[in-house]
Amino acid sequence: MIEIVDLYKSFNGTAVLQGMNLVIPTGKITVIIGPSGCGKTVLLRHIIGLWKPDRGKVMLDKVNLSALNRFQLNEIRRRFGMLFQHAALFDSMNVYENVAFPLREHTKKSEREIQNIVVEKLSLVGLSGNEKKMPSDLSGGMRKRVGLARAIALQPEIILYDEPTTGLDPIMTEAIDNLILEMQRKLSITSVVISHDIPSAFRIADQISMVYKGKIIETGTPDVFRNSKKEEVQEFIRKGEGKG
Amino acid sequence: MTAILKFIPFWNVLLAALMGLGDWCRFAWASITWTFRPPYRYHNFFYQMQFIGVQSLPIILLTGLFTGMVFALQTGKTFALFKMQNLVGSTVGLALAREIAPVFTALMVTARAGSAMAAEIGTMRVTEQVDALYTMAVDPLQYLVSPRVIGCIFMVPLLTMIFNYVGCVGAYLVGTTLLDIPSGPFLRHLYWYVDPEDIFGGMLKAAVFGFFLAMISCYKGFKTEGGAEGVGRSTTGAVVASSVTILVADYFLTTWILEFFTTHHH
Ligand SMILES: Nc1ncnc2c1ncn2[C@@H]1O[C@H](COP(=O)(O)OP(=O)(O)O)[C@@H](O)[C@H]1O
Ligand SMILES: [Mg+2]
Repeated sequence: MIEIVDLYKSFNGTAVLQGMNLVIPTGKITVIIGPSGCGKTVLLRHIIGLWKPDRGKVMLDKVNLSALNRFQLNEIRRRFGMLFQHAALFDSMNVYENVAFPLREHTKKSEREIQNIVVEKLSLVGLSGNEKKMPSDLSGGMRKRVGLARAIALQPEIILYDEPTTGLDPIMTEAIDNLILEMQRKLSITSVVISHDIPSAFRIADQISMVYKGKIIETGTPDVFRNSKKEEVQEFIRKGEGKG
Repeated sequence: MTAILKFIPFWNVLLAALMGLGDWCRFAWASITWTFRPPYRYHNFFYQMQFIGVQSLPIILLTGLFTGMVFALQTGKTFALFKMQNLVGSTVGLALAREIAPVFTALMVTARAGSAMAAEIGTMRVTEQVDALYTMAVDPLQYLVSPRVIGCIFMVPLLTMIFNYVGCVGAYLVGTTLLDIPSGPFLRHLYWYVDPEDIFGGMLKAAVFGFFLAMISCYKGFKTEGGAEGVGRSTTGAVVASSVTILVADYFLTTWILEFFTTHHH
């Protein structure tokens, strides 16, 4: 279980997170929605300990991430996988090397086993046969899917997805949604998905949370969320469903 | 009152410089502690040795040769006034071993490899590749900084030795052809005056320069903010800060090395 307790963060005097509270249950899919620029990515970076909060804490199974030193933090990050909003692929490595990277770093698998896993993960994200391409030769959507393959390569306990389907066509969006669902069902992976896409959020989420002005203003199952009394939530749902 | 206010910007600059230095020390210390923790990525390390050493070789050969040649020419002209041209070999040899080879080599490696380190790590920084390393439980200090720093500590002294050698070859060529110094006395003076201590002292300096230039360049890359423009700023900053540090460190190291070797000689 990940607990976010009263989290504050500002940049050069601009408050981004302003007392955020959220519980992310183990083995479930939590979707975080909210207008762009409201601090969703900033929240995700705190969950994996890339940034330290100004105030408040992130607790992973009762361990306060801010209290860890760099070696302990490095150790605890083995339990995570993360897909960045802009993929953050290593541009000096080709697609194969990118996906193989976490396997090479953290397992003693033979090259043969690594190859099998890479091929499997690439086919899961619909990119078979692109192993030799460099990230600079890929479209934004393809890069993102390579990033996804890299994030799931080690099958970590917790996967953070920063807008996994933004910029993908509807068919690919559904395929990725199904992939996230399937990983959670088969391997009980704890997933945190940032999304703009309301219909897709309702389809995959066990829990939906909405960020607004630096706070979580609503959290609940899709049904609870749909019937929220909050005006901001209803407006966001209306606009999102109209668009999607 | 106005006199005091005039100094406030100066203090700000000083304070910023001190804070930068403190931040660099923390960065360097963290990188050093990561260096001695497993896993040891030999592949990255050898790749950096290759990048720093082998790829800097042409420019070291070229600058070494011409530095030795021009130095022989200048000293030769002066010594000719006193009919002491035979000393050209030893003068050039000593100056190369103690000062010129380590400093020039370090400056050349800064220009070639240091700038590349800042640009490469800076680009990885602004495109979130450094953060991606963190999230994959691979510490970027260990993965990116350690191999570059160790690579420089090993390769800058090695390149310095090569610089020494080709510098002497250059001096020999100019000395024996343009200055009409007989080959025998030229070499005899060179061997007689240049001791192993001089060479080792120079290589020790070079190792320290290598540490500083790599650690500073990586630091600048790491602290990059703000897209392509930021990468450009970091690259320039890395070359300037490394060069200044090399020259300042040279002064202090020279004082220290001279003292060490003179007290042990007598
Ligand atoms: N590294 C940073 N430095 C300064 N400001 C930042 C930084 N990262 C994010 N911000 C600011 O924080 C706010 C939230 O950003 P972000 O979390 O990326 O939004 P989103 O919800 O669209 O993911 C934005 O106003 C952004 O300008
Ligand atoms: Mg974002």
